[in-house]
Amino acid sequence: MAEIPQVLFKNRKPDRVLSLEEYREMGGYEALRKCVGGGLPPKEVTRIVTEADLRGRGGAGFPAGKKWEAVPDSGDFPRYLVANADEMEPGTFKDRMLIHVNPHAIIEGMILTAYAFSGSKGFFFVRPSYESSAFILERELAFAKEAGFLGKNILGSDFSFDIVVHRSGGRYICGEASALLNAIMGKRPNPVKPPPYPTVRGLWDKPTVVNNVETLANVPYILRNGPEWFKGLAVGANGAGTKIFAVSGRVVSPGAVELPMGTRLSEIIDVHCGGMLPGSEFKACLPGGASTRFLAKEHYDVRMDFDGLRAVGNRLGTGAIMVFDHKTCLVGATLNMMEFFARESCGWCTPCREGLPYMRDLLRRIESGEGRAEYIPLLKTLCGEVWNAYCALAPGAAEPVVSLLQFFEEEVREHIARKGCPFHA
Amino acid sequence: MPRLVIDDREIEVPEGTKVIDAAGRLGIMIPRFCYHEALGAVGACRMCAVKFLQGPFKGVQMSCMVDAKDGMVVSTTDAEAVAFRKWVIEWLMKNHPHDCPVCDEGGHCLLQDETVSSDHSRRRFLGSKRTYRDQYLGPYVQHEMNRCIHCYRCSRFYREYAGYRDLGAMQIADKVYFGRFRDGRLESPFSGNLVDLCPTGVYTDKTSRFKVRRWDLERAPSVCIGCSLGCNTVAGAQFRAVLRIEARTNPDVNGHFICDAGRFGYSYTNGGAGFRQRPREPMAAGAGIGREGALERAFGALEEVARKYGPESVAALGSDRNSVETQCALKKMCAAKGYLPPVFFLDPAARRKTCEAVARLDERIAFSRSELESADFVIIAGADPLNEAAMSALALRQAFRKGGRIVVIDPRPVSMPFDFEHIPVVPEAIPRIFGMIVANSIPGEGGGLDANAGKFLRKLDRRSEDATLQSRIEDLAAGLAAAKRPAIVCGTGIVDETTPAFAADCALLLYRAGKRAGVFYVLPGANSYSSAVLSENDGRTFADILEAMEGGSVRALVVVENDLFRNFPDTRRLEEALARLELLIVIDYLPTGLENRASVFFPSSTAFETGSTFINQEGRAQFAHPVHAGGVPILGGSPEHVFRPDVPGGGQKPAWSILHGLETGLSGSGGISAEEIIASHPAFGAIAPLRYPVDGVRVIPVQSKEEFTSQSVSGGEPAPPRGLRLLLVDWMFGTGEISAYSDTLLESIPEPVLTMHSADAERAGLLDGQEVALRLEGGTVEVRLRVTEKMAEGVILLPRHQNLRWQKIRGFPALIDPERIAAL
Amino acid sequence: MLPEDLKHRLEAMIIDSETSREKAVDVMFAIQDRFGWMSDERMEEAAGLLRMTPLELDEIATFYDFIYRSPVGKYVIHVCDSVMCMMEGHERVIDHICARTNVTLGGTSPDGLFSLLPVCCIGYCDRAPAMMINKRVYGKLTIEKIDRILDKLIREDGFHPSE
Ligand SMILES: Cc1cc2nc3c(=O)[nH]c(=O)nc-3n(C[C@H](O)[C@H](O)[C@H](O)COP(=O)(O)O)c2cc1C
Ligand code: SF4
Ligand code: FES
Repeated sequence: MAEIPQVLFKNRKPDRVLSLEEYREMGGYEALRKCVGGGLPPKEVTRIVTEADLRGRGGAGFPAGKKWEAVPDSGDFPRYLVANADEMEPGTFKDRMLIHVNPHAIIEGMILTAYAFSGSKGFFFVRPSYESSAFILERELAFAKEAGFLGKNILGSDFSFDIVVHRSGGRYICGEASALLNAIMGKRPNPVKPPPYPTVRGLWDKPTVVNNVETLANVPYILRNGPEWFKGLAVGANGAGTKIFAVSGRVVSPGAVELPMGTRLSEIIDVHCGGMLPGSEFKACLPGGASTRFLAKEHYDVRMDFDGLRAVGNRLGTGAIMVFDHKTCLVGATLNMMEFFARESCGWCTPCREGLPYMRDLLRRIESGEGRAEYIPLLKTLCGEVWNAYCALAPGAAEPVVSLLQFFEEEVREHIARKGCPFHA
Repeated sequence: MPRLVIDDREIEVPEGTKVIDAAGRLGIMIPRFCYHEALGAVGACRMCAVKFLQGPFKGVQMSCMVDAKDGMVVSTTDAEAVAFRKWVIEWLMKNHPHDCPVCDEGGHCLLQDETVSSDHSRRRFLGSKRTYRDQYLGPYVQHEMNRCIHCYRCSRFYREYAGYRDLGAMQIADKVYFGRFRDGRLESPFSGNLVDLCPTGVYTDKTSRFKVRRWDLERAPSVCIGCSLGCNTVAGAQFRAVLRIEARTNPDVNGHFICDAGRFGYSYTNGGAGFRQRPREPMAAGAGIGREGALERAFGALEEVARKYGPESVAALGSDRNSVETQCALKKMCAAKGYLPPVFFLDPAARRKTCEAVARLDERIAFSRSELESADFVIIAGADPLNEAAMSALALRQAFRKGGRIVVIDPRPVSMPFDFEHIPVVPEAIPRIFGMIVANSIPGEGGGLDANAGKFLRKLDRRSEDATLQSRIEDLAAGLAAAKRPAIVCGTGIVDETTPAFAADCALLLYRAGKRAGVFYVLPGANSYSSAVLSENDGRTFADILEAMEGGSVRALVVVENDLFRNFPDTRRLEEALARLELLIVIDYLPTGLENRASVFFPSSTAFETGSTFINQEGRAQFAHPVHAGGVPILGGSPEHVFRPDVPGGGQKPAWSILHGLETGLSGSGGISAEEIIASHPAFGAIAPLRYPVDGVRVIPVQSKEEFTSQSVSGGEPAPPRGLRLLLVDWMFGTGEISAYSDTLLESIPEPVLTMHSADAERAGLLDGQEVALRLEGGTVEVRLRVTEKMAEGVILLPRHQNLRWQKIRGFPALIDPERIAAL
Repeated sequence: MLPEDLKHRLEAMIIDSETSREKAVDVMFAIQDRFGWMSDERMEEAAGLLRMTPLELDEIATFYDFIYRSPVGKYVIHVCDSVMCMMEGHERVIDHICARTNVTLGGTSPDGLFSLLPVCCIGYCDRAPAMMINKRVYGKLTIEKIDRILDKLIREDGFHPSE
């Protein structure tokens, strides 16, 4: 597969991280030397990244450069940068892979990003089950600091920046940018609705940028190789760069693969993950984590990028592909995800705090054989109503249910008719 | 000003108005749980969903989160919005107990109303209900978490609005729990507001629990007489007892809230069984004689004394607890009969401080609470807001939350629920320091000021010999210079006599310097304003009357609602003087003890039983409507089946009506007319027809006659006094005149302590926590010592505590030789 | 009472932050590393160090999954129960652990060695079914593998998360 461009995962070593030296041998920290050391104006950094069309890899796909620009020139100091490595959405593990493969790309990306909006302190926000990732990050940060890439007057410039690792206590909602900021400040991690946006008033009321770690890791490469190169990495006209797809479920070799943005789902599964397990037939997959919709067989060839998925009424999300086979009960799978979302609701707003358990109850009853025909329209209604929640958690939670009822309503009806799960023979 | 259409009706609202409030102005009540005018919008409950049809937003949105904008077309009745709101109710009700008929909140529950109005009447959800364990939260607030609908109002009020830190939200998802870390009394003295704020029955009033259903209460708008702020309340009575006080919204006076002392300190009016029984029947020499008999006896005796010794041998004493009607009636009676004009103050210093303050309030500089809330720089001069006027501390916290800077210049270890700067100095140093801050905030010699203001400015000291103090003052002055709406909060308790007028002059100076500056006084009692107005041209106080009693020229005394033995600092002298009287007539609703010494005693009615006017510290006359007729409460038993024409224990009458009887000798319901009130003082013209707007009416002049007349405070640092100056101070619980008679407050009263600076304590060889004997002129009091660094040196503080015989002080100023404080 | 050395460590952590409460989770983790769980007394002490009230700290402690407000065993086993692990048989994992260690789901074994708690997706979906013991992750669990891990823990003394 020599023709597949590898950027973030280049020289990926099994079971160990790319050391600082190895990263530098591959051209690492050159972008930093060029931009910060070479005195490239910060606005220019933003411009290049905007031109490269780098979109957020954390789920929402917001253009990174646009977000940095949103920090007002007149904005207060100090300014903060947060690398979001919370990654608690079921199915998602790409950020862990990235940290364990190429931590310095993220670190260099953070420094460059902070340079772009004059940030002076950075945080890695890491979930508790990624203690090993937190450990790696702390170790590599110390090396980067030793090498003069972090700290005061980086590379002789008047730009100073430092990064610390903040360990989360563990909750899905902490990945939501505004809740994350509350978590860092040691407050209850409820989300806060903009305006003001964190880029105007974030941590301790100061301008703050939150980006996913994968987003940040792309930044040094863009600045080194230029926006055109980055756009050229993608297949199809509508994407840019590569994407790390975290594939799990009924495939021969699950794991994280870096592929051009826009690679077809069929290619990812059949070529890069060794195809379906013997005896398994593709039934459905979630293309971007538990808060996206099921893709049925008819979309097996979909282009995996922001626009490709939007065209089929879905989202790229985090690019975490969960593959289900014909032996898997999708009611059970959906119920499991609803259990997750209901349990992880922060408890702030009614549709999520009370509405998700309501849906969970209906799904439980269907799965356990107490379902009734009227639960189907009721669930459909609820999927719509929880969209009026305070943040995106509850709407995300409804997505698997929406698509379950859209593509697999028959399976649901079968549960009801048989008074039990047909897969639990 | 944005113009929008809501439910086909157009309205124009000020910029920044939320759509939910814009609808409110049209009389459309959009359902809500989390939104509250004082707490703001957080968008948690999602109950206020409406549909936006045109304008910058489209679709279903929360009306509490969206500012009204030009061109918006909003529908509150759109099917989609209604369906969503119905779902919100169904979600909330899936865990809410179905116990409305027996719930304490039933009948006045927002959740109940909105459930009914959304037409949710059948449970569809088949799952079980979530249950919680309740906590003990103290004597006032009952906790019942199963009813919670998670609007977060309680924690937002408690923590953000009020600034206390022991109640909040724990757990996550549908298990979120509002409570304390452990069971225990809520620390906030504003905790009772949770009862009003909670849209359902999680927090209910423990003092009224299981006594009455709220809809059965006789309810009336009332006014709290716990301190000089005059917070607006709704009082509720049933079975001849007041059972519940709620906050009544008055944006200028108390906003939406009241303090716990005011809310729960109502039980004096019921005269608790066994606890300081309220005297309910007229008495002569301690024995009941009936209303007619009492009047006959008292009227006759007064005539007799007047005939024997001349009418000026009859003196009268009122108090800050009297209503305006009562004070006017007292004044009128004395004038009509040729008695000595009544006095309302015990000593000249108190009178002067209050009168000076009142004389200075005018439309230019009198700040209301709402103005205090939006002040951007506040100097608190000789006041302890939380203890002397609790709701002002809550207002100051709002000023703080909006970025206002607050400095307290006061000897006491003042504490409030927010960060402020404190300059602890002896009372005589207070005006000089705040004068310096004011002076340094005005550049140069004050060019551009008029002559009077300029002259006043030049009289002010600018420099202190103390370099650290000087730099602190300059820093504060820089802050004040940048402020647009500075306020001066000035007390009338521990300050020197000249301080109140000086505070007004400083406020006026800042006003003349172009700022929206104002003064906010804290006065000694509920009706101090009126007391001051009515003693404007009469410098006499009870001190003069006492001398006359001792000298024999005063032979009869009429005391109207004054707890003299509590208030007067020399018990022995008072006893002796009273013993010399030929006639003592006492009118009161409290069992002060005077009723047993009185030749004739008349029970008066409380503010709950008679319509009465009180004028608060900013000069706002407010009318407390009668709630019920009074009488011996029927509690804890079934009413006696005795048929009688009168109310048992209903011997009380309004004090003004009793005074009318003493004046005319006629019983009946005669009283004081509006004309007579106006005649008492021109200021009362504004309140005369006794028809007030519900928010009260200000009686202050447009412009005070006095300007820049306060005594100069220049001339260097005052010499430190020899010995320790003893200051009598007030606490939120335990020192109030009426609160001492409310058994509902007993659990809140902390042990009295004598407070002293650590340096003074060290010099005297005393330790924190020690029991000490304080030898006063009139005897020794034993009290625990508290030592702190957060106060001025050279003063010691003794609370006017109901469990402490502080009345052994004898006189003021009380200088205490440290030798006279000894460890026990 | 927290031991002096731990207190000093915590104080040092707190000083090194923008606002003390930012370290709330770290402080609680450090205390748990030593004592396993956050008792009321430890909450109060930690809150004092963080200049928070115990309630304010509890608002955070009870929010998170990995702060334990009731006693746990020496080894806290979190078995992932999210969708991929479910598909790969997390129930078998749970049943086996229960049988092996005498623990119940949500409870602690009588010998105080193990607690078993369900946890949502721990980000090892490619190696489902997965579990975590004292912050160390084990994937592709089979009955044999679980036995090996548990045997080692039972045998060994002084297992520490930073191992
Ligand atoms: C419930 C919820 C959970 C989220 N979790 C994560 C997460 O774990 N990691 C992440 O990078 N973004 C997460 N996000 C998205 C963030 O809010 C935010 O958009 C993102 O971190 C921004 O980074 P990006 O623009 O680089 O993608 C989450 C959003 C929601 C609503
Ligand atoms: S949708 Fe509401 S309850 Fe759910 S996580 Fe967001 S804010 Fe919290
Ligand atoms: S009142 Fe608007 S969301 Fe609660």
